[in-house]
Amino acid sequence: MDLLERAPHVELLHSLLSSAAAGAGRLLFLGGEAGVGKTSLLRKVAGSSRAPCVLWGTCDPLSTPRPLGPVGDFAERAGREVASLLRREAPRQAVFQALIAALRGGEAPALLVLEDLHWADEATFDLARFLGRRLQQLPALIVASYRIEEAGPRHPLTQVMGDLATSAGVSRARLEPLSVQAVATLASASGMDAGELHRRTGGNPFFVTEVLAGGGGPVPPTVRDAVLARAARLSRSARRTLDAAAILGPRVAPEVLAACAQVEPTTLEECTQAGLLVSDGDSLGFRHELAREALLGSIPGSERCAWHAAALAELERRSAGGLAARAHHADGAEDAMAVLAYAPQAAREAARLRSHREAAAQYARALRFSGALPPVERAALFEARAYECYLTGRFEEALECRRAALALRREAGEQCAVGENLRWMSRLSWFLGRKVDADRHAREAIETLAPLEPGAELAMAWSNLAQLCMLEGDVGEAVRWGEAAIALSRSLRNREIEAHALNNVGTARAQVGEGEGLAGIEQSLRIALEEGLEEHVARAYTNLATSTLSLGDLRRGEPWLREGLVYTTEHDLDAWRLYLLGWRAMAELWSGRWDEAVTAARETLRPPGVSPVSRIQALVALGTVRARRGDPDAAVALDEALGLAVESGEMQRIGPTRIARAEAAWLAGDPELAGVEARACGPEVALKGNPWLIGSRAFWASRAGGPAGVPSRAAPPWRALLAGDPRGAAGAFRERGFPYEAALALSTSGGEADLREALEVFARLGARSAAAMVARQLRALGVRDLPRAPRATTRSNPAGLTTRELEVLDLIAEGLRNAEIGKRLFVSSKTVDHHVSAILGKLGLRTRTEAARWRAANLGAKPDPGSRPPQK
Amino acid sequence: MPRYVIERTFPEGLHIPVTAEGAAAIASVVANNADQAVTWVHSYVSEDRKKTFCVYDGPDPEAVRRVAEKNRLPIDRITRVSVLDPYFYR
Repeated sequence: MDLLERAPHVELLHSLLSSAAAGAGRLLFLGGEAGVGKTSLLRKVAGSSRAPCVLWGTCDPLSTPRPLGPVGDFAERAGREVASLLRREAPRQAVFQALIAALRGGEAPALLVLEDLHWADEATFDLARFLGRRLQQLPALIVASYRIEEAGPRHPLTQVMGDLATSAGVSRARLEPLSVQAVATLASASGMDAGELHRRTGGNPFFVTEVLAGGGGPVPPTVRDAVLARAARLSRSARRTLDAAAILGPRVAPEVLAACAQVEPTTLEECTQAGLLVSDGDSLGFRHELAREALLGSIPGSERCAWHAAALAELERRSAGGLAARAHHADGAEDAMAVLAYAPQAAREAARLRSHREAAAQYARALRFSGALPPVERAALFEARAYECYLTGRFEEALECRRAALALRREAGEQCAVGENLRWMSRLSWFLGRKVDADRHAREAIETLAPLEPGAELAMAWSNLAQLCMLEGDVGEAVRWGEAAIALSRSLRNREIEAHALNNVGTARAQVGEGEGLAGIEQSLRIALEEGLEEHVARAYTNLATSTLSLGDLRRGEPWLREGLVYTTEHDLDAWRLYLLGWRAMAELWSGRWDEAVTAARETLRPPGVSPVSRIQALVALGTVRARRGDPDAAVALDEALGLAVESGEMQRIGPTRIARAEAAWLAGDPELAGVEARACGPEVALKGNPWLIGSRAFWASRAGGPAGVPSRAAPPWRALLAGDPRGAAGAFRERGFPYEAALALSTSGGEADLREALEVFARLGARSAAAMVARQLRALGVRDLPRAPRATTRSNPAGLTTRELEVLDLIAEGLRNAEIGKRLFVSSKTVDHHVSAILGKLGLRTRTEAARWRAANLGAKPDPGSRPPQK
Repeated sequence: MPRYVIERTFPEGLHIPVTAEGAAAIASVVANNADQAVTWVHSYVSEDRKKTFCVYDGPDPEAVRRVAEKNRLPIDRITRVSVLDPYFYR
């Protein structure tokens, strides 16, 4: 039967399948209210010959869903590898990779359905993200259906859709309720008033068919009433079967249902014949989840408890049902013993697959029933839950759990565990911005652990304090505690703590320009890579990149930045990737690639829920580009940056923000304000010995007039500039890869040749504000042959291509593939993809061959590798 | 959505013929703008057709620049503006 008013959607799905068949993978988020017909639509497409391979997975409406539930549904169909990895409890990354391999190797195109994704567990959301980012050359269409009314702005699904919003191949569609005409068609045989039926049901297809199946009479006010009215006409035993089925979940084995409801198989038939239950291969389920919800809601609380107990007993007797299902029924049955048996196991299973949200919920469930447990066992549950909450960013709840565990461990006199909980409280307090608490707990942890036999807990407590000192910029203390942690972790052969401590000591040193600091972080990186400690790898790349970049060391920082971005992208470490991306915006700004700076900044700022510290760098870069271009809204970005920086309370964020504001004020013609902003960085000591910040602060402070001292600790280019050597300063800035600052130095010289050179650079960069200032100076010197007005749009690049796009074009002309270009430029091949489409778009061409030909015709036959700065 | 006035200079003068070709040029500008959620409200053109003042709605200045680049249109200056209605003061 044709679905009414769904032809455009069927067509859309068919066209997406054709793209997938051609190797261009697609992901469609299909939204619509419950009962609008998402599943019917997908079944229809899945049943057509256009999708030779269908993998269908459904997310559970359980309060705490099974981890990777949908993958469990289709694992067997997806091939031996996926199924066996899942059974063998392999790391989920391996499961994801195997699924991709299966989709590539199977019959094309594959249709992979993730039904009711709004109910997914965390690991399944990650799977959607993982697939959505790897659609290239994936001969598959992935459709994730979801209820629009469930996916509010804070729902994790909304976050996933936001993360994938700009990924190539990802799109959204929405199913609308039926029109009055369609309802009339459906109701034609019933003799019901179609207008009334449409108004009452809102055109919801499930509601409409439910009413029609109920046959005549007044239209029930809600879909729930319609379902119950239909169920009420069945025999008592059939009605009981429906209750049991509602309790047992969306799908149930017929023999389990019959046993649980204590009915004969003929009663099951009665339910299927009435159309309330539908047989799907070897399991039974409701015709629609809305029907199950309606029946579930109609069971009184007292009976519900008994039903859950019966369901659990039946599952246990048959060794059926997963841990999540058993924990769910145990909870419903209020059976403390059973909850304490299943919930922690279910939590561990979820944690293993990185469904940390679900793991935390299972531990919370166990804790609700833990009143009678011995203190030590309760403490262990609190600690386990605290860790899962920490991993999901719920620091406040994690801290609560640590506090509870601490009290219980104290009561039991377990000093080692007391110290470990204190150390965790220190870390969590830091995440919550409570630095005083963080410091206090850090020291309490050490005091508790020091008298005991030295172990991993003490090593970690030392390393934690080293980290706090490093973040404060207290190099001496950071090194002292960090070295102690390194020595102890080595004697314990604990490589994770060693990597952590090496990073803390190295970063503390590197931040103040001590070269050997970088070697320490590199050592931490090596250990983390060897041991596969992903978070430590990401942290090492981040600290290598930021501790060099914050010193104005682009040459050393940029390669780390690129490697870090590649690693965090490949491993889906989003928080780290966004933090690095904010720094890429700064690095591109400094390098004079402002379009790329804007792109990186926008990409950092776009996803919902980006952490403030990642936003700050992006906002500073964006605000600075606007100020330098003479564009409006510089203040919008820089005000937000300052607000966030002040909130963080860290000088490493406040300093650069204030300096950017000083520059913007000066460009806007307010040198007084520039001085105020620069001095607001505080005294030199507040800048924690960062020579780059000390230099730029002194320079911008000097713009306000008054005596300009030359701080001895300022970085050389700034020192030269402050000491009245603009040409020397310009050379040093150029040497470091800061073209704008080089021109800025020349613009202070007052000599015509220097000013002309500065003007040329400013014009090339599109620095309208500074260019106008220099032009004024030149005119005051009597120079008459300047261009009428410095034009920000005067671009040396042909066809409006950016510098990076020209680089990519050169490599296309050399005949390189995207992956090779990516390697050459240290970016992902996806980024190259974006550049290639931008190039083709700007040139109005369709293929790379045409682009190569265009390049030969317009820019000379052969790219000269010597004409651009080397890329490493 | 903020509103911006964009000043542009066309040294050779701006000539958009009222023909199918001119209409196509305008349509392509409008389509490119839509990609970045930018709306071209209207423009004022100087008598000698060498300078234009274009009123645009857009999410931010970068979006305005991006579409200008795509449309191969020059930019001298972008100014964020709001409406001042003289008759409001009566």
